[in-house]
Amino acid sequence: MADFSKISPFQVDPSAIEEAMGLTAEDFAPASEGEKESMVEKRKSVSYWRDAARRFKANTVSMVALFIFICCLIFAFIGPKLIPYSYGDQYRSSLKLGPREYSEGEALIQSASSYFDGFYASGLQAGSITAVMKGDHYITYKGNKYGFTQEQNEEGVIIGIEKSTGNLVKVYEKDVDPATGAVNKVTVLSEGPSEPAESADELKTVKSVFPHIFGTDSVGRDLMARTMYGARVSILIGIMAALIVLIIGSIYGAISGLAGGTLDFIMMRIVELIYSIPEVLIVLLLQVVLREPLQEWIDHSGSSLAQAAGALGSGIICIFITFALLYWVTMARIVRGQVLQLRKQEYVTAAIALGAGNKRIIKRHLLPNCVGALVITTCLQIPSAIFLESFLSFLGLGVSAPMASLGSLCSDALQTITLYPYRLVYPAVILTIIVLTLNLVGDGLRDALDPRLKK
Amino acid sequence: MVTYTLKRLGAALLTLLIIMAITFFLMNAIPGSPFLTEKSTPQQIALANAKYGLDKPLIIQLKNYVVNYLKGDLGTSLKMQEGTPVRDIIFHQGKFVLSIKLGLISLAVAVIIGIPLGCIAAYNRGTWLDGFLRVMTTVGVAIPGFVLATLLLASLAVKLHVLPTNSGQLTDFKSYIMPILSMSFYYVCYVAKLTRTSMLDAINQDYIRTARAKGVKTKMIVLKHALRNSLIPVITYLGPVTAGIITGSFVVESTFQIPGLGKYYVQCVMSRDYPVIMATTVVLSALVIFMNLVVDIAYKIVDPRITLTNKED
Amino acid sequence: MDENKKNLLEVKDLKVSFFTPAGEVKAVDGISYNLGYNEVMGIVGESGSGKSVEAYSIIGLLQKPGKVVGGSITFDGQDLLSYDEEQMRNVRGKDISMIFQNPMTCLNPVYTIGNQLMEALQCHDDKITKEEAWKRAVHMLELVGINNAEKRMTQYPHEHSGGMRQRAMIAMALISEPKLLIADEPTTALDVTIQAQILDVMKDIQKRVNTSIIFITHNLGVVAEVCDKVSVMYAGKIVEQGDVNDIFYDPQHPYTKALLASMPRLDEDGHERLIPIEGTPIDLLDPPQGCNFGPRCKECRKICLTKKPPYADLGNGHISACWLHFMDGAMKKEEA
Repeated sequence: MADFSKISPFQVDPSAIEEAMGLTAEDFAPASEGEKESMVEKRKSVSYWRDAARRFKANTVSMVALFIFICCLIFAFIGPKLIPYSYGDQYRSSLKLGPREYSEGEALIQSASSYFDGFYASGLQAGSITAVMKGDHYITYKGNKYGFTQEQNEEGVIIGIEKSTGNLVKVYEKDVDPATGAVNKVTVLSEGPSEPAESADELKTVKSVFPHIFGTDSVGRDLMARTMYGARVSILIGIMAALIVLIIGSIYGAISGLAGGTLDFIMMRIVELIYSIPEVLIVLLLQVVLREPLQEWIDHSGSSLAQAAGALGSGIICIFITFALLYWVTMARIVRGQVLQLRKQEYVTAAIALGAGNKRIIKRHLLPNCVGALVITTCLQIPSAIFLESFLSFLGLGVSAPMASLGSLCSDALQTITLYPYRLVYPAVILTIIVLTLNLVGDGLRDALDPRLKK
Repeated sequence: MVTYTLKRLGAALLTLLIIMAITFFLMNAIPGSPFLTEKSTPQQIALANAKYGLDKPLIIQLKNYVVNYLKGDLGTSLKMQEGTPVRDIIFHQGKFVLSIKLGLISLAVAVIIGIPLGCIAAYNRGTWLDGFLRVMTTVGVAIPGFVLATLLLASLAVKLHVLPTNSGQLTDFKSYIMPILSMSFYYVCYVAKLTRTSMLDAINQDYIRTARAKGVKTKMIVLKHALRNSLIPVITYLGPVTAGIITGSFVVESTFQIPGLGKYYVQCVMSRDYPVIMATTVVLSALVIFMNLVVDIAYKIVDPRITLTNKED
Repeated sequence: MDENKKNLLEVKDLKVSFFTPAGEVKAVDGISYNLGYNEVMGIVGESGSGKSVEAYSIIGLLQKPGKVVGGSITFDGQDLLSYDEEQMRNVRGKDISMIFQNPMTCLNPVYTIGNQLMEALQCHDDKITKEEAWKRAVHMLELVGINNAEKRMTQYPHEHSGGMRQRAMIAMALISEPKLLIADEPTTALDVTIQAQILDVMKDIQKRVNTSIIFITHNLGVVAEVCDKVSVMYAGKIVEQGDVNDIFYDPQHPYTKALLASMPRLDEDGHERLIPIEGTPIDLLDPPQGCNFGPRCKECRKICLTKKPPYADLGNGHISACWLHFMDGAMKKEEA
């Protein structure tokens, strides 16, 4: 028999409670509906997306990764506008510089910039400058181009406009203190305030030299500019390839999953076939096969599409085609799996039973429920595309010079790895950071969008 | 079982045939001719084409390939080592064998090291060890293989002289370390990540709760109940990745100057050495198909719910 | 008999909380009961009322972020809350066993039924031989009404129906003859006909192996069939507790009454409509100041809005936590 006598906390005399609390009849008046409702504060029901956003924001690792990735985006897309170098420009006087190193001319300009308002330095090594090169430094004064024409035989000469007087002066290198930039002796070439001249396109007055933060390569191209462009190309390839995979894969998978039967069977056998193909071999073949016809099409077709393709280069277009042909299979499988799984769900059955058409079912039920998986897979596809591109570039089949991608930069750097290890370090680190942050953001998205997976 | 084996065999042959056709048309679509050089005259090219049967219609050429392959004849090289049987190039000169050897060792390393690492991480979930392994695996899957290879070469061989630089010969155990390490690191990390995730997933399943309610020791729960279930996604991953891991050796080979298939294959494509391209693709595809079969059998061993005859998609 | 040994299980003022990012959820908020030897107690309540959490804290399977924050659990004279993980492991499966709701997912799909049954013996007894374990497992399977037990032992879970699997689960839970079996909704996931069979098996086997059972369910019909006494839980508290007949034929708490009214009954000649309980259970993150059931209660009074009701002793061990039990007294006092 049940025995509750041992339950001391419950053993209370009703009259004692009444006494202690001083209960009155008023206390036992029925409560109104409004009063009952006011007891419970209704928690606002949060929409799926807002809830997902909240979960993502709460994920510190992913938020930090997202922030770093945005920094990479700024580096890749805004960075090139902020530095005066371009990925293709070759600075003959600045070959093989280390990170933050200046060539002698650049160093002198740097040190003398406090004295001059604008200047030209040349001939720092006798006879070393023999031709007018894009990116070398000049000054034009009253219509005269001072530089090679007048001074190329003199050693270690700077011509500049003196800050204090505005005179055009000539200074020998030996008279400049490299540490402080103080100038000990000047020769006045012409007096009076200088007027800014119309500078020719390739001739420019420089006031100071922007440092080569990552150094320069063997043909005098600024590595930071190249890394920025390379990152831009790599990210674009990643995003474009992921989008291509997303579109083809999801359409294929959805058709296969929805159609079922023989069509599904055939479509899945095709997927299995593509799975069995050694992708890299076919990719290599494709790259070689497509390159020439593509180039021809770009050169000869006047269409805007061809022009856009030309801007990207045939190598990149090849990579896109490769993705469109071979890499959508994983996405197709995932989407088909999702569709099959969702079709079995009760709410879809209910919708069908209520007479909802195919279109409505896809729009209202299948798509919103697939979105999570699609977003995650696409996000994680980007790094794998970037990897593939770097792999192809490494084998010499990716983007073509002077265009750069992170992969081609790494590949170039490998030739001289023992002498200039930093040339590998910068692009490799950026590549690793981009892939790493994208992976982390993707993981965060998965946790946020698919709460079932998060335990 | 017999019908299943026959079915699988038939499907494999059909797949190989389709891959042959794709490869054939692709390589014939490479602009130019294998015999086109600056000096060659049209007559010489025609002569050479006739010699190797390249003047015949494409479909006949394809048929010849298939018939010869069925006989076990892989043809002879047109360019790189003109006249040498392709079979010798692939199997006897060691290029292909070397790449496959590196690939399969790396795959084995990925499994043998990756799975235990994943288990350790899952078992010690939330501790510093788990944290360390998570950082390692997350960074590991973000480092391109060639970067790792170069870093290893520069640090271990050039700077510290612990390992030989000239691993080109791959003579002793030591010379294998760096190539294998740089090839397998990505996969070790990936497999470890995958194992950890699926292990944690398995640990949250109802049957683990049952085992705990029975009073099974934590160690046994992880090793017996969770591990076998969590291997299923790992096995799924290993099938398709085989091809990738073997072709991944291309990059490592060129860094360590290993005379493997990688560079050679690229050269063959560039010089349009048709028979070599074809043979390489077919042999590698066959290997991938075989690995897929191995994976299906491994599936069956791990998961009794799967019957080979009607495998669920 | 030793005073401590009078009851197999004594739960006193047990409090279990889940510490979520949104705040503390008091899943079990001070419940107490005693369970005698060979007694079957039903714990009834809707989803989220804390009945499973309570069971998990007894057997020590509470997962993070859940934590016992107060009270005591005394099992066979021993304070279970003071046990460490290894001591608890020795209790689990040997002295206290548990079976779960969904037999489809509760057996490991990659091991045979026999393997999993024998494991329950082997993990508490290193010396037991394989043959001995096998024999006992087969015997146990036969006891729960599985024909062809020898063959079933070598089969995998997916080769069995839901009912068969639940029988195997029961066999597994009882194989080491535990003193207490906790059955967490053991029939919910099964077809109605199978449910009846499983209940029969449980009733039958309870008599054979002399075990006490805590039967957790939301189905009052099941309770009536197998239990000696019943605790009705709502929002982490026991609202009414008593002998099974008292609860069924003389329910006192409005929640119990509503629960009974919402359930189809065959023993009454009514073609009465079933009356659902309106509203939804309260949010345990932010419980109301007054009675937890207040917002859904048809009899809600002003006092219910502000103060939690105390228990009223209705005799024969029948207790109920509702202000209505105190109304008469207060009214009379007012009149006087």
